[in-house]
Amino acid sequence: MLKHFLFCFFVLVLLLFNSLSVCFAADPSIVDEALSKAENNLASAYLAVSDAENAGANVSGLLFRLERAGEFLASARNAYRMGDFDGAYSYALNCSSILDGVVSEASVLKVDAERSFEERLFFTAGLSSFGLSLLFVLGLFGWKFLKLKYVKRVLEMKPEVVHKE
Amino acid sequence: MSFEDFKLLYIVLCLFLGLIILSPTLALVVRLPSGERFSELWVLGSGGLAEDYPFTIVDGEMYNVSLGVGNHMGGSEYYLVYVKVRNQTEALPDAFNGTPSVLEPDFEYRFFLRDNAVWERKTLFSFKGISFEGNLCRVSSFVVDGHVLDVDKLAVWDEENRGFYLQLFFELWRYDSTTSAFQYHNRFVGLWLNFTMPI
Repeated sequence: MLKHFLFCFFVLVLLLFNSLSVCFAADPSIVDEALSKAENNLASAYLAVSDAENAGANVSGLLFRLERAGEFLASARNAYRMGDFDGAYSYALNCSSILDGVVSEASVLKVDAERSFEERLFFTAGLSSFGLSLLFVLGLFGWKFLKLKYVKRVLEMKPEVVHKE
Repeated sequence: MSFEDFKLLYIVLCLFLGLIILSPTLALVVRLPSGERFSELWVLGSGGLAEDYPFTIVDGEMYNVSLGVGNHMGGSEYYLVYVKVRNQTEALPDAFNGTPSVLEPDFEYRFFLRDNAVWERKTLFSFKGISFEGNLCRVSSFVVDGHVLDVDKLAVWDEENRGFYLQLFFELWRYDSTTSAFQYHNRFVGLWLNFTMPI
């Protein structure tokens, strides 16, 4: 019984806070601020994700979050155009909350991708250097061997002097 | 084969082998130039084909078109599509100078697209409050995807085409990371809509 009462009380408090925030949001200047903040957050998140992608990171999960945030921001802008400031404010807040942590996650992915690239490059360059050294040594030996064979073949082709009796 | 020819052949063979051995490293370091970078923007009829476009508009009736964007810019892009309505005297985007229409957008879509990916969506729209007064037609509201917007557009009687016309058009913008702002991407598509009252 007490658990149910506490649960209902908690839901009531949440609803009260939600309605309060919506009441405050009706002020267009607050809505403007929330919209421009959401816009900036989305742009920063996009730039961070784009950087990580260029570094070779797998950003599918982050792009999905950007997509959702973009939909919320478009809904916020469209609601604002209709004069629905409460709706616009709520959508702008949703947009910003989805983007929480995206920039830092993208930075981590970027660093990981760069490190992974460096490791791969180091390994591949090492293998290539070894291969080239081997080719150089074998090439020299091979050349000596082939040259000898060639000279031997040419000498075998040399006409012999026939002695007259 | 002379000795000199044999020597040349051997050197070429060694160089070729060297290139093969180096190729994995070169592939990681050397960036080959990519092809042309561009974005596509299209609008299709209700069946997803370049036919059955809405044309004659009736007050309150719902119409739909399929709007699409394709990304071939070589990486993920952040796009913005503005939906605008204009009459015959209002300016379209300038394709020559690459400037957008000066009209305020009535609606927008925002989305992110990976390279070579396509975004497509049905756009449902209707017009409400269509009234006629002499050689003028007034349209009060534009409803797009359930959002009711006050547009208050006036269309003047077009003697040549015998009707009242408004154009619904879509402008493509993309986020430019160098300027940190959206820039018009010099692409737009539009539909002429006939608001003439059926007799």
